[in-house]
Amino acid sequence: MNRDLRFTALKKTPFHSRTSLASRTNKYYNWNGFTVPTEYSTTELEYTAARNGTSVMDLTPMCKYMINGSDANRFVDYLVTRDLSQMEDNTVAYIIWCNEDGKVMDDGTIFKFSNTKFMLCCAVKIYNWLHDSAEGFDVSCEDATDTTAALAIQGPTSCSTLKNYGADDLELLKPFGMKQYNINGYDVLISRTGFTGDLGYELWTDPANAENMWDSIMEAGKELKIRPFGMHALEMTRIEAGFIQTNTDFMAAEDSLRPVRMRSPYEIGMGWLVHLNKESYFVGKRALKKEKETGNSERCLVGLDIDGDKPAVGSVIYNEKKEDIGIVTAAMWSPTMKRNVALASLKRPYGIKIKENIFAEIYHPEELEYKKIWAKCKVVKRQFFSPERRNKVPADLYE
Amino acid sequence: MSDNYDVIVIGAGHNGLVCANILAKKNRKVLICEARENCGGLLEESITNFVPQIPLSVSSSLGGLPVKYKAKSSIALSESGQHIRLVGNQHIDHKVISGFSSKDADRYVKFHDKMSSFSKALGSFMMASPPRIMNNTFSDYFKLFKLGMNVRMLGKKKFNEFARMIGLNIADELEDNFENTLLQGLIAHDAVLGSNLGPRSPGSLINLLFRMATHDNSIFGGIYEIDGGSKAFVDTLLDISNKNKVEIKTSSSVKRCIAENDKAVGVELHNGEKIYAKKIISNADPRSTYFSLLGTENLDTDVKRRIKHHRSKGKVAKLSLSLNKQPEFINCDKDDLESRMVIAPSIDYIEEAFNPSKFDKLSMEPILEMKLKNSDQSNPVLDIQVQYASYGAQEGWDNIKDNYVDAVIKLIVKYAPDIQSCIETKAIVTPDDIEKNFHVTGGHWHHGEVQIDQLFMLRPIPGASQYRTHLDGLYMCGAGTHPGGGLTGIPGRNAAQAILEDA
Repeated sequence: MNRDLRFTALKKTPFHSRTSLASRTNKYYNWNGFTVPTEYSTTELEYTAARNGTSVMDLTPMCKYMINGSDANRFVDYLVTRDLSQMEDNTVAYIIWCNEDGKVMDDGTIFKFSNTKFMLCCAVKIYNWLHDSAEGFDVSCEDATDTTAALAIQGPTSCSTLKNYGADDLELLKPFGMKQYNINGYDVLISRTGFTGDLGYELWTDPANAENMWDSIMEAGKELKIRPFGMHALEMTRIEAGFIQTNTDFMAAEDSLRPVRMRSPYEIGMGWLVHLNKESYFVGKRALKKEKETGNSERCLVGLDIDGDKPAVGSVIYNEKKEDIGIVTAAMWSPTMKRNVALASLKRPYGIKIKENIFAEIYHPEELEYKKIWAKCKVVKRQFFSPERRNKVPADLYE
Repeated sequence: MSDNYDVIVIGAGHNGLVCANILAKKNRKVLICEARENCGGLLEESITNFVPQIPLSVSSSLGGLPVKYKAKSSIALSESGQHIRLVGNQHIDHKVISGFSSKDADRYVKFHDKMSSFSKALGSFMMASPPRIMNNTFSDYFKLFKLGMNVRMLGKKKFNEFARMIGLNIADELEDNFENTLLQGLIAHDAVLGSNLGPRSPGSLINLLFRMATHDNSIFGGIYEIDGGSKAFVDTLLDISNKNKVEIKTSSSVKRCIAENDKAVGVELHNGEKIYAKKIISNADPRSTYFSLLGTENLDTDVKRRIKHHRSKGKVAKLSLSLNKQPEFINCDKDDLESRMVIAPSIDYIEEAFNPSKFDKLSMEPILEMKLKNSDQSNPVLDIQVQYASYGAQEGWDNIKDNYVDAVIKLIVKYAPDIQSCIETKAIVTPDDIEKNFHVTGGHWHHGEVQIDQLFMLRPIPGASQYRTHLDGLYMCGAGTHPGGGLTGIPGRNAAQAILEDA
């Protein structure tokens, strides 16, 4: 009766021996074919560590692609909407990319080593897309997801932790900068990037170095309130930071079954990443230009400040006439900001021209009964949490 | 930057010439850039032996096209000498087939009527510009609705029959109707001619319908030879061009289309010269147009995918045998030799010839369509179309060309025992040669398979129908566009109309 499922089971990351030891709850979930913890102890505790100490998260399941070749710079510039032609070596850029209809496929980060070498990190698997897009460019694309171990080290004391680990002069690294280190005999790439909206770093290394790196960092952060944190805590921090997540806040163009669910960058607040004046063509440029010129974007993704303290999870948003004008895609009570915040996808002109007099219908569960709340909302900047320390150079250090 | 010309046409194939002349007649200043030394494209080598007549709608928009045609009958050659000769006239053909099987003769008339009514229903659609489904406009949907109505108007019974037959293979239909294998072979030959299909491939029946739609709605009628050969045709077009003051630049290969602000504004030649115009029209095949002229770096990934998947592997080679005297074909008189002689003795024979081509290999017993040129002179030429001569054959054309030609000749010996002794020289043009010499990707007659997935509004690819490309100001007028190849000039005419509409 016991079928051998080892070969069809979810993959374990190179950190699994350590993350499973640290997990008190044995709660895992499937991220991109890997099994990773949703929470280690309690989400609240992990969240607090992320905002007050150092939090550690296994990022290995994130899709990672190496793009090499003499046309690599031209190719990534063609692939994404942002103008990357002037991007400097050893920097990272936040990017989105679209299909031919100008609908967003995913967002991610691009790491530039040189004009001929890049790394792309994202949520949705896009090897085929890269391969087919590369037609006519002298580049090779390689899926490096299984061959790169990645760890996010985030929080106010993260810089000090990593300095203890062996990353000299890390405090001088600028946001969206990256630096190659050799620590404990292994190459470790450290970038000042992250998904928490706080000071933080991401480390990229050989899977063989994973366990050693985890142990060394835990040791280095012992006095700096270090704690592994899972997906639930990350979700809290990213909502506070106002970061969007593919297939949560918008449907990836390739994943939507209904064409009307696809969103253009302008409809998810990513218009600032679309450089229509970029000299060369990029995928979706014709469609985006048309949308910009005709101004026929239908929706927008905004931040909401909601009355009361009950999170508006999944709430429908109404105007004063009680007409349905949108939906909440992510919501929480922010412990740090002491605000009831949400990200919501609204039908224009709501969210753009009309920012007041909109309401969320909140169903708040209270022991097998729902409390129905009609809460007034205000459209606000999506970035709810952005402390000064996030972009400070040199970064704050703690003993 | 000044617009030296109103229009630049890339490629002086017959569609490019037709398109250029229609525009010139509307007072556009037109330049044609042709990569080769001579004009006419595939016509120059007489790649096809027989052609349909240029439709009246095309010749009239050119102000008349003084080309004379000679109607040709078709002969299915049999090793036994019991050939079937069909002229496209129902009464005569009925009589001829009765000599083999009276059952077949009656059924042939019925079969022909049915096919003919279907091809007529498709006919008007073949001539006009196809709807563009991505446009979502009323007129586009109306066009589609009209096609549906044309077929529906045939009556419920015929409509059902049409629906049944649309995806059918020709072999099933022929075997249901006829018992004579030679007749089956002849019709099946025409259904697969120039395509990448065997008689048992789904879709081969609709292929025959499309052929009929341009060939006078007849299976064996509407097959012509141009008086004076294809050279006369090209010369006529060049005469008209001269009259209409169309400038033609030969030996001027275009490297790329120059775009400014996402609009085509000119062309750059391989010698570096840049010429500007308001509109650019490409008579090149879709893949060359998109990947070379437009450039891969200017295309969306999805468009690149579609173009990459565009099927355009040519399957027909042209073999010309110069002879020192007229060969003796068994049981054939002089008239027969000047007709269309087909060696495709049965459906199974064709399918066997097709099988290796599925794997890009060559059958040493291919199907042939032949015609004897200059039969009354001392140096006749036997022009042979050899089908399932795969593009990019695995055996390597360089290695196998001679063997292949010998195999074809060996095959002809069965029907003309003295052919070997008549041959002076042999010349073969394979699909690979067509690609190299004429810059046609895959060396395909039609610049791409004429199949259901590459037809009407899907031709050449979704989003690029109606002769417009993804780049504003760049158009297509070649055989890769609707309704496809064959010497009809319709793509050229329709493209010219599209440009005039946009102006």
